[in-house]
Amino acid sequence: MPLIRSKCDNAAAGVLREEPASLASASPDERWAAARAACDPACISSLGDALALELDARVRQAIFTALARIATPESAGVILPYMRVDDASTRTGALDALRAMPEAARPHLPGLLVDPDADVRILACDLVRDAGGADGPRWLCAMIETEPQANVCAAAVEVLGEIADAAAGPCLSRCAERFPDDPFLRFAIKVVADRVRAETPAPRG
Amino acid sequence: MAESELLDAEEYRRLCDYLYRRTGMAFTEARRYFVERRVEDRMIATGSSSFASYFARLRVNMEGEVEKLINAATVNETYFYREDHQFTCLTSNMLQERLRVKPPGEVLRIWSVPCSTGEEPYSIAIWLLENWPEVDAHDVEIVASDIDTNVLNAARSGIFGKRALMRLSAGLTGKYFTRAGPEHWQILDELRQSVRFTAANIVAQTETRPHGLFDVIFCRNLLIYFDDTSRRIAAENLYESLAPGGYVCLGHAESMSRISPLFEVCRFADAIVYRRPLEAKHG
Repeated sequence: MPLIRSKCDNAAAGVLREEPASLASASPDERWAAARAACDPACISSLGDALALELDARVRQAIFTALARIATPESAGVILPYMRVDDASTRTGALDALRAMPEAARPHLPGLLVDPDADVRILACDLVRDAGGADGPRWLCAMIETEPQANVCAAAVEVLGEIADAAAGPCLSRCAERFPDDPFLRFAIKVVADRVRAETPAPRG
Repeated sequence: MAESELLDAEEYRRLCDYLYRRTGMAFTEARRYFVERRVEDRMIATGSSSFASYFARLRVNMEGEVEKLINAATVNETYFYREDHQFTCLTSNMLQERLRVKPPGEVLRIWSVPCSTGEEPYSIAIWLLENWPEVDAHDVEIVASDIDTNVLNAARSGIFGKRALMRLSAGLTGKYFTRAGPEHWQILDELRQSVRFTAANIVAQTETRPHGLFDVIFCRNLLIYFDDTSRRIAAENLYESLAPGGYVCLGHAESMSRISPLFEVCRFADAIVYRRPLEAKHG
């Protein structure tokens, strides 16, 4: 029979090297290995420094995962600046990492929702969906009371449609009144308002 | 409400979006009937009077509802030749592609993780012997791992009931099994000896790494149970466990695209699988 069973774990396996790796190594493979090994809060600073210089997408992902694994507000804070970069894959990587550590990302959300950059505020709305917890609906309701940009309100309204209950109805109505000349936003708000009106409050368990 | 209209279009979209974000499971409109029936079962089981109240329960994962819905949606049962379109893809495409880039004579390595009670790795062995004309020309090593040592012991014993064999023809059962009782069959010793069973937690790099590099990994219906961070770590461990150009097969409803950008999507005629790029992506 051609099916074989090797006698030891590493036979025919091409096992990876075991020497210590450095985040500053010239080799992407070593930087990848170093990022994967960095899972202690003491590594946050060096991971942040490495992330700022890293050009290899695969290693960047490993650094994001390491920071998500550490999962402290400090490790989340290292990722926040990458929500504003032009490169879409890095931005997405940053968002995914923040979503992966909702408790750690949560303290940053109120600040992100009033960020001077409207694009960041839109991404923050999306983060609230996964990381906002019980405060999420309240934060987004407060936001749409004053948010000057219709497209940011639209992002918040979309998320409210998923996480809010009937208590969000009055805020939604006031938001629609602030944008009388934006038929898309008014339509979106109507759809969501109808939905949350039927929504029962989330059970606690 | 008609049987097929448990959820309106918007509710179905919201449910699918949520499941995709939360578990990586991707359901299209074509799977709507199947998904609705599973949701209906869970609504009855939880006493939810409307989809809105059930969805609220799901979102807060009340009493582990996410896992319960996943179990309902994935048919948490293992049997021989389950999702065999991926085995067709293995012998029609993946192994050929691997042989194209591997040094001549090098062993082809296949990993079944989690292997549960052994149906998947033994299915792979039987499938190769039955369906791959080149099987005599190459050495193939099958490794099967699970975190649960109880199921590993059962897998090593190779004894299966009638339900596990339901998709095998009488001819295959007669060829590869012997009777082990009125309702049980044991897989042939030679085949049992050809699969190496090991304990491994796919989220622990220290446990995956010693297994070395594989050409093809079957990791079906596991990642959906993990939280985001564990899923990312598992995906990176799978990446590390694949030879460059090697493939990973997930369950039919799972999507690696939601979990990690490290892999390339490969759309073969019989299955969508994921590949570790031959060259690492830069930039």
